[in-house]
Amino acid sequence: MSRFDGFVQKARETLARRHEEAELDEEMRFHLECETERLVAKGMSPDRARAEAERLLGKQERVREAVREESGFQALEQTLRDLRYAARGLRKSPSFTLAAVLTLGLGIGATTAIYSVVHGIILEPLPYPEPDRLIRFYQQNSPTNRWGLSVADYQAVEEQQREFESLAAMMGSAVTLTGRGRAERIEARRVTADWFRTIGVVPAEGRGFLRGEDRPGTERVVVLSHGFKERVFGPVANVLGVAITLDGQPHTIVGVLPPDRGTLAGYPAEVWPILQLETPTRRGPFFLRTVARLRPEASLDDARRDLAGISRRIFPIWADGFTDENAVLTPYSMREIIVGDVGSALFLLLGAVGGVLLIGIANVANLLLVRATAREREMALRTSLGASRGRLARQLLVESLLLAALGGTAGAVIALLGLEALISTNPGLPRLEEVGLDTGVLAFAAAVTLGAGLLFGLAPLLHAVSRDLAPSLRGGGRTSTGGAGWRRLRSTLVAGEFALAVPLLVGAVLLVSSVFRLQQVDPGYDPDNLISARVSLPPADYPSGAEVIQFWDEVLLRIEEIPGVVAAGVSTSLPPIGSGDTNNFDLMDRPVVSGASQPSVFWSWATPSFFAALQVPLLEGRLPNEEDGRSSPPVVVVSRSWADRYYPDEETLGKQLYAGGDTSTPITVVGVVGDVKFAGLDAMDDAAVYEPLVQAGFRSVNLLVRAEGDGTGLLERVSAEIEALDPGLPLAGVQTMSERLSTAVAEPRYWATLLGLFGGLGLLLAAVGIYGVLSYYVSRQSRDIGIRMALGADPAAVRRLVIRRGMVRAALGMGIGVGGALLLTRSLESLLFGISPSDPRTVVGVVLALGLVALVACYLPARRATRIDPMRTLVVE
Amino acid sequence: MSILRSELLRGTLDLLVLKTLILEPMHGWGIARRIRQLSDDVFDINQGSMYPALRRLQRKGWVTSEWRTTEHSRRARYYTITAAGQRQLSQEEEQWTASSSAVNRVLMLALVGS
Repeated sequence: MSRFDGFVQKARETLARRHEEAELDEEMRFHLECETERLVAKGMSPDRARAEAERLLGKQERVREAVREESGFQALEQTLRDLRYAARGLRKSPSFTLAAVLTLGLGIGATTAIYSVVHGIILEPLPYPEPDRLIRFYQQNSPTNRWGLSVADYQAVEEQQREFESLAAMMGSAVTLTGRGRAERIEARRVTADWFRTIGVVPAEGRGFLRGEDRPGTERVVVLSHGFKERVFGPVANVLGVAITLDGQPHTIVGVLPPDRGTLAGYPAEVWPILQLETPTRRGPFFLRTVARLRPEASLDDARRDLAGISRRIFPIWADGFTDENAVLTPYSMREIIVGDVGSALFLLLGAVGGVLLIGIANVANLLLVRATAREREMALRTSLGASRGRLARQLLVESLLLAALGGTAGAVIALLGLEALISTNPGLPRLEEVGLDTGVLAFAAAVTLGAGLLFGLAPLLHAVSRDLAPSLRGGGRTSTGGAGWRRLRSTLVAGEFALAVPLLVGAVLLVSSVFRLQQVDPGYDPDNLISARVSLPPADYPSGAEVIQFWDEVLLRIEEIPGVVAAGVSTSLPPIGSGDTNNFDLMDRPVVSGASQPSVFWSWATPSFFAALQVPLLEGRLPNEEDGRSSPPVVVVSRSWADRYYPDEETLGKQLYAGGDTSTPITVVGVVGDVKFAGLDAMDDAAVYEPLVQAGFRSVNLLVRAEGDGTGLLERVSAEIEALDPGLPLAGVQTMSERLSTAVAEPRYWATLLGLFGGLGLLLAAVGIYGVLSYYVSRQSRDIGIRMALGADPAAVRRLVIRRGMVRAALGMGIGVGGALLLTRSLESLLFGISPSDPRTVVGVVLALGLVALVACYLPARRATRIDPMRTLVVE
Repeated sequence: MSILRSELLRGTLDLLVLKTLILEPMHGWGIARRIRQLSDDVFDINQGSMYPALRRLQRKGWVTSEWRTTEHSRRARYYTITAAGQRQLSQEEEQWTASSSAVNRVLMLALVGS
């Protein structure tokens, strides 16, 4: 019987079951006819004979069932027998089983955990009805530069658009809640009436907003998040119709969102007050975020055309105040906006864990090979006792699959723990809170487990079928070095582990060194002993900029008098992750041509003492002072990068510019200060403009206080001074600047930690595996070595030969690995900082390190082999 | 019609089928007919027992089957006993003889004793 008979028979059973049943039917028909003929021969009429035969032979369907049952029973019984046999085999070698299950568990667990994140963030649709129809749109003048809409833009879109079923605008900010205990800053998003309808979210209590409630002058209403309602009013209270005071204005509660709706369209908020938009008098400012739901049959391209048309139509209306003709309203799918560029990092990570898993599978395959060699005699014995090769192969496969199932179970536990760790250390990834081990993920884990089992199960299978087992029974277990296919498999395992380990390690080393470099970046200021807090002055008490400035003049004076305070200042943005405020400007001495985009840089409004508090050096000219008031000619201070970019060979001081599309009031540059990393530590562009706060009088700012020591207890004194002036004013988001600095590297550190972890795990598994595979490879050659030694070969020369054979395979694998690494790390580029994805030192270092592992893995078994008395090796054979 | 029909043990049926096939390859109806004749109408095996048994024997590798044409030029599936089937048959025959003679001895002694 050929070795494939078992498989062929099995395949025929399953694939051609229908054919089999047709055959059975024909057989039974024949049977019935024979029986009928017999009865006719006995003298019965043909009709009666047929009826009698049918009665005698029983119901045909029952026969079919009995036959089916017979085959089913057989298959099940045999599988159970195989399983019992496999379990016994695994129990007999606990250390092998433990090593294999642990290796697989780590690989499958890590892969499953990362896949569940990929699944939850990228693959799973957004948790809103018909999420594919949800879009966001922006003003955009280049592929990389997009910003919000102005009221003029939004109202024009609302009026003219033809492709949206509904749309809404949102203005993100925090508001001050008063009248319920201590005044409190809470996260709020003001939204227009159709916000909830557009996204497709229905409040759990009460209602969403009605059309028309977003018209100025109507009653102010608010929808609460579930969390806010529970926290402030308790779980049972009926809050509908109750009024709360936000930023000094009463808002009537009309609805409460369901518990799982703390975040909508990627924006978290505690309360959703109505946004009432006034009719604009100019094109800017651009502070609105938008959502829209496409008509059922409309596409993103339809929306793109429609919005572009609207952009063209509104441009001439405001052309005197807004000259950027390149700015076009551009739609994006909401999913793209929410998920952002996390996708590439996640898929990269998935690739990395997949690499770890493959290395693990190669390790287990090798373990199984070693085991198969040890069991050659057992197999030979079973063959001679009548077990077919197909049957043996089946048993080996069942054993592999049982091992995989155990590994998969361990993997599920590891995945669960890993996922918990991934979520609890979230540096701000979107949608991570939605991630879990749902059925889709578990199906993936099961598929990976099955695939892994089949993959490493191939190794002992090939071993079993590629050998003539008879000599094993007669003599020793090490007679032959196996067939050609068999030798290829071993070489593939060695090379494969190296090929996988190289890109994994290169990626990990690149990311880790990126984070180190990022932490070395000079932020442009001294982050130690520096406290920050957000303060928002309510418009009711501070109706104009004059009151705002008066308040800060007084408060800052008082704070600076507190013993231990070095300096105190205020600005609209804080490094290293600023608010993202940018502004466009036009240099008076070289204006951009009409219709072209004006340059746009980071823009902040600050008090003069801000620079002292942050300890940013003044390099040229002067800082704004008391004489630069609201009515005096406006001035700005620029960063050194700004000066270097726009006036590289000229005096910067005294140059004049127009800001924000204004063409009436020139602003004069009076000073140049040091660069500060406002747009993140990895930002390439440090060009910045600082305008005195007095020129704008913004109500929401950041207070910055530099202390002499570590500033313990200082915060209480500071808030006491503020309360003395305005008892209802809360400090929000109190943070030291060192904390802020470390959150800036949190996300790169997250990726680096993960990839570093997987890289380390991969290295460990690969080192263990490489050692195992190579030493096994070498030990299989001990007969060869023995013959050479017996013929008087120099042990050192033999060792060199053995080492060379192993190293050739390792080098081959590493060659492939370097190629793969150079190909794959390109997708790392956006995550890297200050290091090229093909950094030669990293690649060479990784190759050298792995080469060392390979050398040790070849040398030790080679030494062992040459130390054995050659006679003994040969006699045992 | 036989009272024993329902009590025929699976192993016994296998034994009878294998024994029948020793002489020549046969189709299912022929086997049933032959067993019925040889057992003086005691064992009347219906399709519901015969075909599952034949599948079982085939799966164990004790019989093989092929489609052939009968004397009356009709297509029928013929079963042939294999070498393994013959080994199995002789083993089971031995066992059957041993156990049935043991049962007989017990029955005889019981008669003597009473």
